Amino acid sequence: MLDILNLHASVGGKEILKGIDLHIGEGEIHALMGRNGAGKSTLSAVLTGNPAYTVTEGSVTFRGKDLLAMSPEERAREGLFLSFQYPVEIPGVSMVNFMKTAVNERRKHLGLEPLSAAAFLKLKREKEQLLDISQKMQNRSVNEGFSGGEKKKNEVYQMAMLEPCLAILDETDSGLDVDALRVVADGFNKIRKPDTSAIVITHYERLLEYIRPDYVHVLYGGKIVRSGDASLAREIDERGFDWLEK
Amino acid sequence: MEILSLNNEEQHIVLSEGEKRHIVLLNPLCARLFVQQQSRSELSLHCLFLPESESVSSADISIMQDGKECRTVMYGMALLCGKEQFSLETHVLHNIGGGYSEQTVKCLLADSARGSFYGELVIAKDAQKTEAHQTNRNILLSPNARMDTKPQLEIYADDVKASHGATTGQLDAAALFYMQQRGIALQDARRMLLHAFLSDVMNSVPADNVIAESFDRKFNSLSV
Ligand SMILES: Nc1ncnc2c1ncn2[C@@H]1O[C@H](COP(=O)(O)OP(=O)(O)OP(=O)(O)O)[C@@H](O)[C@H]1O
Ligand SMILES: [Mg+2]
Repeated sequence: MLDILNLHASVGGKEILKGIDLHIGEGEIHALMGRNGAGKSTLSAVLTGNPAYTVTEGSVTFRGKDLLAMSPEERAREGLFLSFQYPVEIPGVSMVNFMKTAVNERRKHLGLEPLSAAAFLKLKREKEQLLDISQKMQNRSVNEGFSGGEKKKNEVYQMAMLEPCLAILDETDSGLDVDALRVVADGFNKIRKPDTSAIVITHYERLLEYIRPDYVHVLYGGKIVRSGDASLAREIDERGFDWLEK
Repeated sequence: MEILSLNNEEQHIVLSEGEKRHIVLLNPLCARLFVQQQSRSELSLHCLFLPESESVSSADISIMQDGKECRTVMYGMALLCGKEQFSLETHVLHNIGGGYSEQTVKCLLADSARGSFYGELVIAKDAQKTEAHQTNRNILLSPNARMDTKPQLEIYADDVKASHGATTGQLDAAALFYMQQRGIALQDARRMLLHAFLSDVMNSVPADNVIAESFDRKFNSLSV
């Protein structure tokens, strides 16, 4: 699904990623952990093609294609989805219009007809219910005035609408109350097909109780310094990061 | 609603007591408009610069609230490209108290277009309990486009509510990237954001085919 080789990247003239190697197979879930400022969001930004970040070395292959050669929108249409750590408010652009455009771009890329108004509405209702989202929220401007938790729910709702092949959840759990966390995690597990892969960035082991990772990686000093199974997350929860950074 | 297209012309309008009027100034070329408002009259005014060919357009609008409790709501909008130029001058004079005025001017300048907005707002000494607001927001679509803004507030009364603000900038890069990450092409994302930027002005214009067509034609011709 995704192959990252010796990836180096910088932002604002500062090198943040200093040689990331990561292989993600079909249907695998990889948790990514690390201290504040370690570069986790930088990795999501680089993978999704955020123009503020510069790749200085390395390669990334996504579903057999050169990911770094594609524009951000091409990467998205190809099936790469980022649940933003800080979703952006877009006043004046309605959630419905935004989502309809996004869904139909993805469909066009897959060689499918655009959804009719009725079919779109049906899909929208279904996914709203799955994530326990009110229709009213969807009539507003994109993320405008949404609470922190509502924004995170809205990210996973968009994921449900777009059915990506690889989803990156960047701290989707922060800001969610206990019940919302369960709804979002359950929703995520229902949306997922057997071949959907995910990178789950989190500071808390709790989310990983719901979304079980096949692998856990720790980012430090711009590199992945430790990889293991779910027990590594439990260990970090108890012991912190110190022992991994020696 | 009446549409005026003043070309090298001057027009004087008086709103009599309690009268409500909606005036649209469409593509004015060297236009001068004077409106005198008597008590409790309500003026709604749009001044739209949507030039169809390369031009230098200008409008000089004076609104005098000469009676008590008048309402003035004015919207200005300019969509310019190429070497087009426009200038908008407004003079809103609150001579009597208890009045309300609101001005919203939004401009989109592409290529090497130039624009200027001079907004004068005067609240006379006896015009207590006046409320007056003015905002001007501009987006430059090219490094060669330019906009000059000069608000001029003269407030002589002490019990008033007045505000003004002006910003000139580019489209929000974070919003554009967010939209691209959902598969929306950069050009489409830019158009959606520009539409959103202008939506309050456009939504305030009463439905009219001539205006809608001229807006669409101009908006679609801009290289965003
Ligand atoms: N535009 C920028 N200019 C300069 N430095 C930046 C910029 N953006 C991010 N950084 C720096 O890059 C480093 C990595 O940031 P990043 O957001 O990737 O961390 P993170 O691992 O996601 O942290 P957190 O857990 O707090 O979300 C930080 O030191 C941050 O200050
Ligand atoms: Mg982060």
